[in-house]
Amino acid sequence: MLEMKEISRVYRTDLVETHALRELSLSVDTGEFVAVTGPSGSGKTTFLNIAGLLETATSGEYSLDGTDVSGLNDNQRSRIRNEKIGFIFQSFNLIPDLNIFDNVDVPLRYRGFDGAERRGRIEKALDQVGLAARMKHLPSQLSGGQQQRAAIARALAGGPSFLLADEPTGNLDSLMARQVMDLLEKINNEGTTIVMVTHDPELARRAHRNVQLLDGQLASPDPFSASQSTPIEADLQPVA
Amino acid sequence: MFLYNLRLARMSLMKQPLLTTLMVSAIGIGVGACMTILTFVYVLSSDPIPEKSDELFAVRVDSWNPESPYDDDKPEEAPWQLTHTDAMALLESDVPTRHAAMRKAVYTVVPDNPEVAPFFNVARMTGGDFFEMFQVPFLYGSGWGPSADENAENVIVLGHETNEKVFGGTNSVGKTITLGTEIFTVVGVIDDWQPHILFYDMNNGETNPVEDIFLPFSITDRREINGAGNTNCWKDEQIDGYFDLLRSECVYVQFWAELNSAEQKAEYQRWLDNYTEGQKALGRFQRPTNNRLSTVTEWMEVQDVVEDEVMVVMSIGFLFLTACLVNTIGLILARFVAKGPIIGLRRALGASKAAIFRQHLVEVGLVGVAGGVLGLILSRLGIKGVQQLLSESDNLAALNLDLLLITFGIAVVSAIVAGLYPTWRVCQLPPAGYLKTQ
Amino acid sequence: MEFRPILSAMLRNKTGSILVALQIALTLSIVVNCMFLAKQRIDHVNRPTGMDVDNIISVRSMGFGTDYDHDRTIDNDLRLLREMPGVISASHSSGLPMNGSGSANGFAGSPDEDASRVTANYYHVDERMLDSLGTTLAAGRMFRDVEIRRADNELLNRMPQQVVITQALADKLFDGEPALGKRMYDGLGESAEVVGILEHMYGAWVGWSDFDQVAMFPQRTEGPHIRYIVRAEPGKRDELIPLIEKTLADSDRTRLIRGVSSMEETTRNSYEGDFAIAVTLSVAVGLLLGVTGLGIVGLASFTVRQRTKQIGTRRAIGARKRDIIRYFLIENWLMTTIGIVLGTVLTIAINYSLASAFNTDQLNYGFLVAGMFMLWLLGFMAVAEPARRAAQVSPAIATRTV
Repeated sequence: MLEMKEISRVYRTDLVETHALRELSLSVDTGEFVAVTGPSGSGKTTFLNIAGLLETATSGEYSLDGTDVSGLNDNQRSRIRNEKIGFIFQSFNLIPDLNIFDNVDVPLRYRGFDGAERRGRIEKALDQVGLAARMKHLPSQLSGGQQQRAAIARALAGGPSFLLADEPTGNLDSLMARQVMDLLEKINNEGTTIVMVTHDPELARRAHRNVQLLDGQLASPDPFSASQSTPIEADLQPVA
Repeated sequence: MFLYNLRLARMSLMKQPLLTTLMVSAIGIGVGACMTILTFVYVLSSDPIPEKSDELFAVRVDSWNPESPYDDDKPEEAPWQLTHTDAMALLESDVPTRHAAMRKAVYTVVPDNPEVAPFFNVARMTGGDFFEMFQVPFLYGSGWGPSADENAENVIVLGHETNEKVFGGTNSVGKTITLGTEIFTVVGVIDDWQPHILFYDMNNGETNPVEDIFLPFSITDRREINGAGNTNCWKDEQIDGYFDLLRSECVYVQFWAELNSAEQKAEYQRWLDNYTEGQKALGRFQRPTNNRLSTVTEWMEVQDVVEDEVMVVMSIGFLFLTACLVNTIGLILARFVAKGPIIGLRRALGASKAAIFRQHLVEVGLVGVAGGVLGLILSRLGIKGVQQLLSESDNLAALNLDLLLITFGIAVVSAIVAGLYPTWRVCQLPPAGYLKTQ
Repeated sequence: MEFRPILSAMLRNKTGSILVALQIALTLSIVVNCMFLAKQRIDHVNRPTGMDVDNIISVRSMGFGTDYDHDRTIDNDLRLLREMPGVISASHSSGLPMNGSGSANGFAGSPDEDASRVTANYYHVDERMLDSLGTTLAAGRMFRDVEIRRADNELLNRMPQQVVITQALADKLFDGEPALGKRMYDGLGESAEVVGILEHMYGAWVGWSDFDQVAMFPQRTEGPHIRYIVRAEPGKRDELIPLIEKTLADSDRTRLIRGVSSMEETTRNSYEGDFAIAVTLSVAVGLLLGVTGLGIVGLASFTVRQRTKQIGTRRAIGARKRDIIRYFLIENWLMTTIGIVLGTVLTIAINYSLASAFNTDQLNYGFLVAGMFMLWLLGFMAVAEPARRAAQVSPAIATRTV
């Protein structure tokens, strides 16, 4: 599914070279729920950016779904992000001027689906996250947890190969955080691969597999086994 | 607090130099353009002799064609000038405190000094009352007395320039000067005198310079002169030469009277009406009696000193300023809204709405002052440019304190008007709203 | 492709969009009205004159001495002028067309008391005047040498026997019938035979609507004033001007030579009011387009900066650079178009109020269309750079926490 081989990323300024990732190799299988953890400065964000094709690696190979994506140009990478990757950001990154429906619609527009197709996908995705009733609301009219669920719907709507989550609960209180995690688990259970970057070991524990980064390298083999938990349907009810 | 606000405003403006430059330029250009044209309108429409413009009257009697009015666009008006016959008759009245008939003429000045080539000069033929009536300042001597008018004496008042050319700028009173083939005695030399509107004769270019030689009007009645200026005739009459023209119904004489009270004015009006009644009996003045006395400013209005074209350009100037202000409102709003989080913080720290309002008003005020300075500079350039186009000298728009203050006032008021809505908007921000993440 | 979401996002930020639209509207209405008024002035200035304006020199003489003899001076002056190398033709005339001062009178096409009178500028000229002005006859003939009355002629104040008139005057006098050979009458019942028709010529006052109604009579002007009109060979005008002044001044001390100038300069002076207005309005158009353009650049750059995160997010979820550029172009185009719609109404309203207040003409709608395209182009140019910068926003911004 996701295959990184000896990925390095070097940031250069006139004075210093920073090695954010050093020959990182990692593979994630279809259906997995992997948590990437590590302290600040360990290269988590760089990993996330490279995994999400937001940045390119300085060296190394990266393939998604069996195709090499390391040498793609900007347009091609946009296309892959749009079709194969569903992003979930720490600060949700919903567009404040658009209502929830239109927010979920954004990636579908770039995909070039026709109106009926988009409507179907949006409704389905919002249904999945339990926000079907709120589709005409603006982000500012929703709670943080609801906003993150809307963002998840946006990530799901395009039918991505995997979800890439960046501290998905970082801006949420514990109740809402738990609801969002439950939702992610449910989505994973339904078959979507999830790669989650977090510094919170508590959260990481809910993934199948943990990968720890330290100084841009894998710190140790996966110490945890997956701990499965059953999502509680009641928790998916919107919190007003 | 004001100084604190001023410092905040300065810091805030310096932080985004591009937006600040755009705002100041927009106001500056708007005000500059508007003031350029406003200056011309202001100068053209301002009173050229404010001390006594209400006591000076342009006198007109309606001797025109019984079939049609003098000016089809203003049929209620009498002709703008008088016939020579009527001017001479009106001079007989002893009602006005002072009065003068006048017309333009051209002369060749032949200096006694053979080194100085003869030169052409425009003369004003007028009465001795002219100088007192219009408060003409004298460098040497004075105007001539009533006897010179009565006897059509060869006396002359010189302008500065002619006195310079012929007498080297010395006191020439008592000396003689040759005009064409005639010799005149200098009785006075006038000091610099140039009303910005040549109000006493607006028939021949209202911003023309004052004539540089003055001679008694009565001369025109006794011997042939080279008249100049607009002459309008309506009657089919055979005019053979100069003296025929004097006796004709053609109008070319301007007439002014000084009347110091309403009673005096009423009495003069009766005198005029009485005169024209008498003329009707002789077969002249077949139009309805329409003898008019207009003050200087009324007369300027009748003469359309500020032309429609200028008013069109002025209307466009104000629209232009509006467009610049809308531009500025957009820019101010953008930057104020961007400051939302900081404003939220200030509110949270206890600033009242009024304090926030004042702070931002000071900021837009500062933009206004900067825009005003720029506008002032641009309007000076604009005025220079237009004067160049009109090949006019600088007398029209000499730096004038009123205009300076108006320019500045317009700039600051514009900026504050433009800033009012954005300022109001920032005050409406809830103190908490912007403290949350994002 | 994405009109609706862009429009609804704009409607959330109503004030900003309204301000841009309003500004576009005001700019359109001012620009269109200014261009229209300026073009009218320019057309007015550029009317074809039918005269060789570029090569004509005018000079005035005013006699003053006791020994001054008007006819003798004119004879001498014309001889001197015509002998000068570089001079094509020289004539005496009572005035110079288009210089702002002249004489006019009412004439009629029949001796009838009630015949309607047509006002025409008239000039007293000599037999070579056409050559001196560089104009031509449409029909008939110019005056003959012997027909020109000298200044000592005792009938000088009576109407001469012949007249040459412009086609425009002929049409008014004789209702479009052939004028050649007919007689033109003045108010005293005197008349002259129309011997020639001028194809085209202008009179004294450039602002007068009947500027093209001109008549020429064969006589000299009563002393002591006289004007000469001299036509120079192309390129010789400027060197002839000082030469003419000196030659004439030195030849006769009983008069004053003044006002030696090219007709081009005189004409420019006559039109300087029109010219000043055209220039002022054009400068206003330029400044306003600049202010509006820069204002849009400023607002758009600001918006881009404000929306950096949003742009990064869009990029992260699959927008290509060109999608981002397109977003800003469409957004700007929508605001501009709303502004143009508003502006069209405003333009017509302003034109209407100027027309009713100051008698300006009704707008030619071609200018409105031109103005619309100008503003579309301006909006496009102004937003191009900010949009390009927006496209440079890295998608990695999306993962950055504020």
